[in-house]
Amino acid sequence: MTELIAGIGFLQEGPFAIPRWEALFSNIDVLWAGALVTLLVASLGLAMALALGTVIGVMSASHWRIPRAFARVYVEFYQNTPLLIQVFMLYNAIPLIYPGLFIPVIVIGVFGVGMYHGAYIAEVVRAGIQSIGRGQLEAALSQGFTYVGAMRFIIIPQAMRIVLPPLTNQAVNLIKNTSVIAIIAGGDLMYAGDSFAGRYGHYGPTYVVVGLLYFLMCFPLARLTRRLEDRMMAA
Amino acid sequence: MNTPVMLMLSDPVLYIGLGRGLLLTLQISVMSIALSFVFGTIIGSMRYSGLPVLSQIATTYIEFIRNLPTLLLILVSYFVLGLPAMWAATIGLTIYTSAIIAEIIRGGLNSVPEGQWEAARSQGFSFLQSMRYIVLPPSVVKMIPAIVSQFVTAIKDSSFAMAIGAYELMFKGTILAAKYWKPSQIITIYVVISMVYFVINFTISMIARRLQTKLSIGRGSIGS
Amino acid sequence: MKKSALLVLLALSLVLGAFALAGCGAKEEAAAPETEPAVELPAGAKAIKDAGVLRVGVKADVPNFGLQDAATGEFAGMEIDLAKAIAKRIGIAEDKVKFEAVTAKTRGPLLDNGQLDLVIATFTIKPERLEQWNFSKPYYQDEVGLLVKNSSGIKSLADLNGKTVGVAQGATSHDAVQAEADKAGVKVTFLEFATYPEINAALESGRVDAFSVDKSILSGYLTENSTILPDGFSPQDYGIASKKGTDDLTTFINGMLAEMETNGEMKTLLEKWSLN
Repeated sequence: MTELIAGIGFLQEGPFAIPRWEALFSNIDVLWAGALVTLLVASLGLAMALALGTVIGVMSASHWRIPRAFARVYVEFYQNTPLLIQVFMLYNAIPLIYPGLFIPVIVIGVFGVGMYHGAYIAEVVRAGIQSIGRGQLEAALSQGFTYVGAMRFIIIPQAMRIVLPPLTNQAVNLIKNTSVIAIIAGGDLMYAGDSFAGRYGHYGPTYVVVGLLYFLMCFPLARLTRRLEDRMMAA
Repeated sequence: MNTPVMLMLSDPVLYIGLGRGLLLTLQISVMSIALSFVFGTIIGSMRYSGLPVLSQIATTYIEFIRNLPTLLLILVSYFVLGLPAMWAATIGLTIYTSAIIAEIIRGGLNSVPEGQWEAARSQGFSFLQSMRYIVLPPSVVKMIPAIVSQFVTAIKDSSFAMAIGAYELMFKGTILAAKYWKPSQIITIYVVISMVYFVINFTISMIARRLQTKLSIGRGSIGS
Repeated sequence: MKKSALLVLLALSLVLGAFALAGCGAKEEAAAPETEPAVELPAGAKAIKDAGVLRVGVKADVPNFGLQDAATGEFAGMEIDLAKAIAKRIGIAEDKVKFEAVTAKTRGPLLDNGQLDLVIATFTIKPERLEQWNFSKPYYQDEVGLLVKNSSGIKSLADLNGKTVGVAQGATSHDAVQAEADKAGVKVTFLEFATYPEINAALESGRVDAFSVDKSILSGYLTENSTILPDGFSPQDYGIASKKGTDDLTTFINGMLAEMETNGEMKTLLEKWSLN
């Protein structure tokens, strides 16, 4: 067995050599800590994105001009500029504008992905609401529902079905995008892995394990997306 | 007006630096968009085909890659595959975007009812003719928003290349922020960079929206 | 029926894709120079001569060592001149020296995967690095320093208690500052960034209280509002790195460095870049 291993070149030297794997696994706690930060940022960020996305989405589907315009500007800004520069603004520009105001990196991560994906979710929600059709809203309004009430009880529940697959898809993207905080020393999974890999040069094994951990976080949601999509197709 | 910002804005080095950065940003994103379109179409059709091995390969690729962060794929291309920074960014972005495009293509093809195929074939259309005249036009129109949105994402995500020291727009801006270090100057640089990205991406989105409306009208009402 | 036809379409696109890939992967092959070598070159140096190009990893953001002109894209500095001197000795024209900007994090992997022949990029010789790469004899000694904002009131390492220090991923400054801080009983935390400009941005915004790296590198980020502290730790020797196992190339470079030392060329070089 040992001879067999000795005969496999790439396990002896190069980016995937056995000693590199050993070094990684004796320091694996570093990655767990990072993964926890990623999970925290992702779950809080998702909550924020859903809340913001719903509000902005309802605004952009509304018949009031000002909220609609505001929603449009919000969505266009966040969808057309990189998340990285938004995060940089929060990290470096805010303390320059308001000296002493240091938003913690984790909070930046939550706000960063929350507001960015909030814009995408808003578009999903808007499309969902508009797919229901004006007639239903008018019918509800004529039955004495307020606008908010009609949304709450008539439109949104129906829209949910159409909206859910792209929504879970956004959740997957959100988890993946939490990795940008690695660039601002965010202490997340990507940062932890990159910092470890950079210090000792063990890029190969580290990236494999980091990749697997991201995959494990995203895959269940991605499967859920697929299931919901299939169910919608069948319906 | 000799404020630090005016001083910086009148220095050609700022524009040369950002201009070079923008050039690399465009180079990385345009190339990966083109490559992703080719590979995405191939992989998407492979999955759609349902042919045993091909579709399994495609499914595995898509399911694996789309659950990984783009940044990770760029870092792997650079540190493990050992590509030069610009190529690492291009390839990393291509690996990711191809998987997403593939899913969009498959979804679009899936949305065409089997009946349309049968109708076209029964009218004596060949496979390619049915594709060209019956199946592709409505599905492509439906795919435009998703594909363009993914291209815009590719342009935005090319900024991750700064993590591997590629001198694209974001990194160039950060370097210039060391030369122009006064708070007002740094903030101005960030705002300028945001605006550059916004103008490019917003223009692309608008053109795509126009195109879709025009195509839909041309063909009568398609989709809903 | 539909599926078999789809297969044809697939095969077509695959062929197209393969062409596209081949086009991307194709590298320009440099023609080997016709001239016979004037002196007997060791195998490692001869291989570079035969390739016709010397690929050197240098810093793009370190004044006096390796600095890239923002407008022209040209590199200049002491390490650039060293690379040109090596090229001259091997018999490669100055315009055939290809400079590639590297960072603390990227320079090692780029040697490993064969993208670069040499790295002359303020690369410190350390025992654990000697296990991974070949290093020449030192050509310069530097120490790790700390850059702080004047307004911070930090005057020495002792003032850094409870503060945050920004360092580059993969650089030695993390360990150097940690060791020195432990000795002085000072507690510091570290934030790691991929590149120096990012650390500098964090220093400007106050995210980190000090920016720590070799003093030579810090000098490039000095402004009228910041200072390099007098403290300096763990003197570091810069060496010219090449891939592990290229011993004859290292010997060849060492020969050149020794010669430059004796004939005064090195002294002139250091003076030219005000490094002495």
